[in-house]
Amino acid sequence: MIWRIEKRTAALARPHAWLFPVSLAFAVAAGACIFSALGVSPLAAYGTMARGAFGSFYHFSEVVVRAIPLMLTGLAVAVAATMLLWNIGCEGQLVWGGIFAAGTGLYLIPHLPPFLAIPAVIAAGAAGGLLWGLIPGLLRAYLAVNEILSSLLLNYIAIIFMEHLYFGPWRNPEGFGFPGTAQIGEAARIPHWFGTRIHLGLVLALVMAALVFAALRYTRWGYQVRAIGLNPQAARYAGFRIRGQIVFIMGLSGALAGLAGMAEVSGIHFRLQQGLAVGYGYDGIIVAWLARLNPLAVPLVALLLGALIVGGEQLQSVLHLPASISMVLEAVLLFGLLLSESLARYRLVRRAAGEETSAAGKGLP
Amino acid sequence: MAMTTLSSPVLALTDITKRFGDVRANQRVTWTLDAGRIYALLGENGAGKSTLMSILAGRYQPDGGEIHLRGSPVRFLSPAQALASGIGMVYQRFMLVEPLTVAENILLRRGPIRGKRTRDIRQIRELAERYGLLVNPLAPVRTLTMGERQRVEILKLLYRQAEILIFDEPTAVLTHAEIDSLFDVFRQLKEEGKTVVFITHKLEEVMAVADEIAVMRRGRMVSRVAAAQVRSHHDLARMMVGREVILSVQKPPVAIGEAVLTAMGLSGPAGADRLKFQDVDFEVRRGEIFTITGVAGNGQEQLVAALAGLAPMAAGTVSFRNRAYTAARWRRRTGDGLAYIPEDRDRTGSIDAFTLVENFMLTRLDAFGGALWVRRRRAARATAAAVRDFSIQGGGIRGLAAHLSGGNRQKLILARELSRRPDLLIAEQPTQGLDVRATEEVWQALLRQRASAAVLLVTGDLKEALTLSDRIAVMFRGRILDIVSAREAADIDRIKLLMAGLGKRE
Repeated sequence: MIWRIEKRTAALARPHAWLFPVSLAFAVAAGACIFSALGVSPLAAYGTMARGAFGSFYHFSEVVVRAIPLMLTGLAVAVAATMLLWNIGCEGQLVWGGIFAAGTGLYLIPHLPPFLAIPAVIAAGAAGGLLWGLIPGLLRAYLAVNEILSSLLLNYIAIIFMEHLYFGPWRNPEGFGFPGTAQIGEAARIPHWFGTRIHLGLVLALVMAALVFAALRYTRWGYQVRAIGLNPQAARYAGFRIRGQIVFIMGLSGALAGLAGMAEVSGIHFRLQQGLAVGYGYDGIIVAWLARLNPLAVPLVALLLGALIVGGEQLQSVLHLPASISMVLEAVLLFGLLLSESLARYRLVRRAAGEETSAAGKGLP
Repeated sequence: MAMTTLSSPVLALTDITKRFGDVRANQRVTWTLDAGRIYALLGENGAGKSTLMSILAGRYQPDGGEIHLRGSPVRFLSPAQALASGIGMVYQRFMLVEPLTVAENILLRRGPIRGKRTRDIRQIRELAERYGLLVNPLAPVRTLTMGERQRVEILKLLYRQAEILIFDEPTAVLTHAEIDSLFDVFRQLKEEGKTVVFITHKLEEVMAVADEIAVMRRGRMVSRVAAAQVRSHHDLARMMVGREVILSVQKPPVAIGEAVLTAMGLSGPAGADRLKFQDVDFEVRRGEIFTITGVAGNGQEQLVAALAGLAPMAAGTVSFRNRAYTAARWRRRTGDGLAYIPEDRDRTGSIDAFTLVENFMLTRLDAFGGALWVRRRRAARATAAAVRDFSIQGGGIRGLAAHLSGGNRQKLILARELSRRPDLLIAEQPTQGLDVRATEEVWQALLRQRASAAVLLVTGDLKEALTLSDRIAVMFRGRILDIVSAREAADIDRIKLLMAGLGKRE
């Protein structure tokens, strides 16, 4: 008997069911190799990570805290990708959400009635991301500028502008030269629960995931977005306004990322400072892909990635490994998914040995 | 049975079997092909013809059976291997790189071509002239019509010295004149001892050019006869379908009403270097089927796109339901009344990854959606009704459109567009590539539509035009040369002359 690999002619009935476990297993195995190469027992390393992420309620709450911005940026990427738009600019949109939230908290909230404070901060955060997301959206819709490049490059502008703010005009006068704005007032901070750092952003993210899912699936708008993503030519035939949808969806995507920035500022740091742009925007791309663009799967994948990040930090403090190991594991996880997706297109076929001898070319005249 | 010849067959298939999931596309197919003969392969949609030919051409590997080429067993793992052995195929969907030129496509392996007068290009020109495959080697494929693209595909094979040439429905995208010249190519190939196999649904083509006819039904080879032995179209049709089919379509008279659409001085498309259609005038009246025909590439495609509101016109006025629109305002027109069945049913008319229900909503969101929500249940009911009324088979209403055969897909689109109750139905190449039964069903539906609407049919299939039309407009180089009443159109030769740009009435 000879095994050979053949391309599948029919798609698997439920390909998604086993893709994720397989890619996870691949990531774990690859991670084990890396740990061994670093001279650490994989078992000890994974044990440390697991304890770090799930060892106690507090540890797990930190996983959730990390997962909140990832859920929002993951949703942002997923909703745009549904229409074949690649929003690589979530990082910048997140930063602008943070800038708007901080600016509102610092300069507007003191003049607002208290019951309006939190809604104002949330709306400002969404608006900041929305405006920054509109730029690549408009460029794509009306000037055919590739949104991957424009949104990516806008990230650097956003980050530098934020630095300008907290090093310059918005710098905390009582901050002893420490780069950052003053803290926003209590009124502008979103509530925390369970005595942890878990904050209102979690509810926001989960509600957004459900809303985006329902909107894509059950609304007229969502139908159009899916149709445009699957077949722009047919969408044009049906008379859908594709330009308008591009602008809208990039704005929506930006707003979701902006909410992530808002939640970081108003729920974690309480100010603009270094450490706001730590790559949640880029991690959102991984989250969206691992979730296969399904909004309902995004929160779960975000939790997994949050656990990787928190666990990775434990590796640093307990085993003195570089913290970037968690980024490596993230990357391997994504590679695993891409790999298993490709593998799913093939299958193993058993053939009798004799059949194989008439291989291509041999019988040619 | 197979023709017996003294020489051994150039190609022999034995017990070829191929499964796709649960579907048995080919079941123990045995067939032999000789050099210097033209074979027609017939069968309904889904009979397994394309699969069998794809196996020959190395695109698929059989699950069982053997292929012998000149007596030696072969197994092709790729089309490249098959072509290296002299077996080439022209697929229904052309395999061309659109941004590249004709010559670059033919010489694809060699990379970009510098200079304009290389030896290769001269060689391609010679080859093209020899077979009457007129196409400019330096033109980008993107700019070519479907008919021209097919010539490029044939040149690709001839350039690689293919001995066995397989065509999957080669005439589906061609006009009458182009079909004639394609058949001349076939005969030339035969003269040189090459083997031609072509898949077709059109019986008259079989009679015109084939030496031997093979018929497949449900994955099996059911009969093989010499073309000379076939006495009538009915014989062949019966072999294909396994039952008697009606080939003459009943066309009950319908009262002709007012003009629904009047085109005056249309030119376009806007913004192009060269106008593809110019000064086009015609009207389509309720109760009639008005047909625009012509050789592919004479502006019909662009005219239809403009009429359907998908592309801007440069000049002219459209009067629709007694309202006049300028060229610019026609494109921005909203609202119902006009339904359009596009030529490309797979990539324009429907979406592969959508279910039948979702596809049924594509152009009917106003009916199946409020301002916010999509009314899925209502859409599902309407789809189920359409599936029943048009006997659309394959997977049920929750199945994906990708799994529908060409005929069923077209019926779904037809059902959807008719359900909009349009005043004007534009149907573009509506039966291209469909089998006898599906063609007949589409024709009947179009004829029924006359009772309530005006029908604008755009087709390159002269038989279709003559069968259905009340009046036929012939386009040549962007202009309507003449509009012929279908009663006079018994004079097919006159229409053929018009299609060639001749015979305009003084």
